[in-house]
Amino acid sequence: MAIAKAERLMNLALCLLGTRRPLSKRELRESIEAYVEAFGPGGGAPLGPDQPASGSDDAFNRMFERDKDDLRELGLVIETVESLDGEVGYLARRDSNRLPPITLDAEEAAALGLAAKVWQQARLAGAASGALQKLRAAGLPEDVDPYEAHSALEPRIPVHEAAFEPLMLACRDRRPVVFEYRKATAAHPETRHVEPWALECWRGHWYLAGFDRDRGAERVFRLSRITGKVRSRAGRFTAPVPDVVTVRETVAGWAGETADRSALIRLRAGAGYPLRAKATAVRELGDGWDELEIPYGHGLDAWLVEFGPDVVVLEPAELRADVVDRLRAVAKG
Amino acid sequence: MAGKPVRPTSAIDQTRRMLSLVTYLRERPGARIEDVARAFGVTEDELVSDLDVLPMCGTSFRGGDLLDIDTDGERIWWHNPAALGADAAEPLRLAADEATALLVAARAVATLPGLRESDRQALLRATAKVEAAAGEAAGASSRLSVTFESEGGVFADVDRAISERRRLWIRYYSPARDEVTEREIDPIRLVSVGHTYVEAWCRRSEARRTFRLDRVAEIKILDEPSAPPEVELRDLSEALVQPAAEDPEVVIEVGPGGRWVAEYYPHDSAEELADGGLRITLRTPDPASLKRLALRLGRDGRITAPPELADSARRAAREALAAYDGIEAVAAGRAPAVPVGPAVQDGQDDRQEQTR
Repeated sequence: MAIAKAERLMNLALCLLGTRRPLSKRELRESIEAYVEAFGPGGGAPLGPDQPASGSDDAFNRMFERDKDDLRELGLVIETVESLDGEVGYLARRDSNRLPPITLDAEEAAALGLAAKVWQQARLAGAASGALQKLRAAGLPEDVDPYEAHSALEPRIPVHEAAFEPLMLACRDRRPVVFEYRKATAAHPETRHVEPWALECWRGHWYLAGFDRDRGAERVFRLSRITGKVRSRAGRFTAPVPDVVTVRETVAGWAGETADRSALIRLRAGAGYPLRAKATAVRELGDGWDELEIPYGHGLDAWLVEFGPDVVVLEPAELRADVVDRLRAVAKG
Repeated sequence: MAGKPVRPTSAIDQTRRMLSLVTYLRERPGARIEDVARAFGVTEDELVSDLDVLPMCGTSFRGGDLLDIDTDGERIWWHNPAALGADAAEPLRLAADEATALLVAARAVATLPGLRESDRQALLRATAKVEAAAGEAAGASSRLSVTFESEGGVFADVDRAISERRRLWIRYYSPARDEVTEREIDPIRLVSVGHTYVEAWCRRSEARRTFRLDRVAEIKILDEPSAPPEVELRDLSEALVQPAAEDPEVVIEVGPGGRWVAEYYPHDSAEELADGGLRITLRTPDPASLKRLALRLGRDGRITAPPELADSARRAAREALAAYDGIEAVAAGRAPAVPVGPAVQDGQDDRQEQTR
């Protein structure tokens, strides 16, 4: 039976952490049971009669490289050292792998415990619990259950978009990407070449900010509109990454929350609570209608149409015409 | 829909956990399985599977010993802790992804307006300490951020009512009916998925309901104790509204400008149409609640079934147009309006959208 990957990775990690001198690939191959079992002893050691010839070296090398990458992924700093006779050795030095001293009290520990549970994305959920486990090993207090003793809140960060993980890694590693993107009102996606800067979740949706190479300018993309795979591109970023990336402000602008004008409407008494909540002025007309002054930003026309015959737009004429236009389209069916 | 991890994380997660586990167990001879599983946020079964692997591990290079760790089913014993040198058992530094995952989540939770002030302070202190301990690994965490939305005052009252087990009175806005109703609810828990909701037993409808906090117009904590019936908590992470198979079917045909409907409404199918639009089929217990959507769509789409729903939207539009007859005469001669795409409205339903 093949030896489980976790056992192999664990042994490799313990070997690299336990050694004081660099270990060669051959030494590691000979001392880790999983490698011996899969590939036999390497480096010219005699093979048994039923072992295939040493074509397994390539397979071993590939697995060894992947295993090192996996260990680096979970935070291990592995150094590569070349000795005088040209042989390459590996080790994970204690001082570059040790967690600096950190002392957290019970309240701080409980708060972090709550935070570590909010991710719903497999990779980040695993990474957050991994962080907490390392802190536990370093003595993080554990006698407080964050759910029992603290708030009744269960915050969750939703991640439904398949594009999230590749974009997160591309932002982390500053790698350019290419993907198909369908704009809100476009029937067909177009290819976009982007230098990804940052991801932000706002109102439950994920957005990417980055430099759009085709447009030569900063753009914000909504992850749910990315169709197909996100592919990495070779090479570096060509545009400077700004110190502060503002995703939310851009999205709020699309959302019509940067209203700079105001509109006057008539609203049936008792109807349209959210319009009232936004109104800057309300006047009762006494005939079953109220007159409201409300902020006028992008998209107000579509929102007002939702209230059907309970809303009449008085001013400005432009907004009134937009609303009438929309109503006519619905009335025609 | 579901974001699948591009590679299996389990072996990496297990290795990461076992590395921390050896450090932890070395300090705690005879640790109880139950306690260790809780401290590590895993089930007892997962922990036991780690304990099955650990005796196969060690610094086996040149005759080092394997870890002699075993359990009697209740406690964990490590018979040769010296098998791992003291410095090989030190806590490991945080990886970039680990620092990012924990710091981004902690910063997000700290933005929750209803969080108790003492909890927020604790979280901010902890975040600063973790940032310092993570060092360079914390750098990439600025490339990811999350903001939770919630109404501070309402949140604090709901949170208090839950911990004191008291009933709440609310005035709640229902966008489907465009009306504000008064209800008494027995709160069960707060859930934050994009927006923040309270799950509660609604005494008016005698059913479990979720209420979005930004639609609560007014709230009071009552003196009566809260007594929600014992109900099994559902996983609300995928969708708060879970339509039933027997719910009536609604068919919406949209043009390219109405494709956003498929992003905001959970649906059974979305079929591509020749003009770049979609035919969306969904189920809802209350089709009348979609009249607002029909009105909002304008020329970007229409509801084709059930016919009563399509009729009611047409009637509402005609009735609304009648009010403009007098006003429109004044504006006659004006150029036709340029159609504007749909837009997000604060506090509006989930049918929000924006163009760019």
